[in-house]
Amino acid sequence: MYTNAQYIAQGGVNVAIRCNINGVTSFVPLDPANTDYANIMALVDAGELTIAPAEGE
Amino acid sequence: MRINQRGYTSAAPLTTSNSYCVDRFSISTSTAGGFSSYQSTVAPVGFTNSLFYTKTTGATVAAGELNFIYQPIEGYNTYDLAWGTANAKTITLSFWVYAGATGTFSGSVRNTTATLYAYPFTYTVSAANTWTQISVTIAGPTVGTWATDNTAGLNIFFDLGSGSTYKGTAGAWVAGNYVGATGATTYPVSTTGGTFYLTGVQLEVGTVATPFERRQYGQELMLCQRYYQIIIMNAQSPAANYMSTPFYGTTAMRSIPTMAQISAGSPSLASIASVVANSTQPSGYFQILATAVNGYVLGASYSGSSEL
Repeated sequence: MYTNAQYIAQGGVNVAIRCNINGVTSFVPLDPANTDYANIMALVDAGELTIAPAEGE
Repeated sequence: MRINQRGYTSAAPLTTSNSYCVDRFSISTSTAGGFSSYQSTVAPVGFTNSLFYTKTTGATVAAGELNFIYQPIEGYNTYDLAWGTANAKTITLSFWVYAGATGTFSGSVRNTTATLYAYPFTYTVSAANTWTQISVTIAGPTVGTWATDNTAGLNIFFDLGSGSTYKGTAGAWVAGNYVGATGATTYPVSTTGGTFYLTGVQLEVGTVATPFERRQYGQELMLCQRYYQIIIMNAQSPAANYMSTPFYGTTAMRSIPTMAQISAGSPSLASIASVVANSTQPSGYFQILATAVNGYVLGASYSGSSEL
C-alpha cells in the first residue's frame, strides 16, 4: 500500500513524506494525527518500510 | 450517500480494499475474488443514492478474513455518549439495506483503542432485492476506552461476510475485534455477483429511530470535507527554477491532510515537485520546477485526506 517513501525537506528541515499510496503519488505530512503518517511510521517500526532521506533542494 | 467526491460510478468503480468509496464509508475486504463498489442510484423512496457493493467472484471465506463496509466516527462527535462510563447513553442505529439474497446479516459497533470492545448485532433480510429499513438499539458500554478527541471515537461495521475469527455473539458488549455476529451469512462475499446496497444510515442517542435527518447538500458536503476535499493548484514561475505558491482548502480538516494527485493538470515547461500541506485549515504550498521562464502548471487537482 505504501511504497517509495522519501522525505521532502524545506530549508534543510523534513516537512513531509513523498510516497505512493495504492499507486498514487502522495505527500504525507509529519502529523501524528494523520492516518497515513501513523500507518507509515508503524511500518517503519516493524521494519517493513524505509523512508529515504530528502534530496538536496 | 449523496456525497461522492471521489467520483466512483458503475463505469469507474472502487476496486481497491481499505479505501473510501462514497464519502465517509470505506470498504475493506481480504477474501479473494475482487469486488466493485460505487455510488448507486438504486435507493428507497425518499433517497436518491446508495452505496453499492458487488462481489466479482464468490469465494469460501476463511476464518481470519475480514470483509465489511465501515465508517469511523470522530471522537469529537461521540464524546457526549459518555461511553466507557457509568453514564453511557443508549444509541439507535438505523439504515436501509437491499441485498441480493435473504438471510441473517450482521454488523458491529466497536472502539479503536488498545483494548477492543464490540457490540455485534444481527438483522434479517426477509425479501431479496427489496429495500428494508433496519433499526438496532444498543445500550451504551460502561467498559472500554472511547476516544473523545480527533481520533476515531467508534466504528460502525456492516459485515459483508467476514470469517468466524471476527464474529462474536450478538446482542452484548464483548471484548474483542468483532465486525459481525456469529452465525450470520457470508453473503455477498461468498457469492459470485452477490450484491448489497446501503443507505440512510443514522446513529442517534436514545431508543427510537427517528426519521432520517434531511440536511442541505452544501451542509452535508462541508461535513464530509472535514475528512476529504479536492483542491485545484495553479503556479507559474518567472524563472527556470523551483517556484512555490500557497494553496488553501475550503473546510477545516480533522488533521493535516495527505495530498494525493488526482490530475496533473496542464503543465507547460514545468513539472510538479511537491504539494505539502502544513495546517488543518487546510493550507500549504504547491511547488513546481520550471525548465524555462514562465513555465507553469495549471489546474492540477489534488485530494486532501484526513480520513480516520
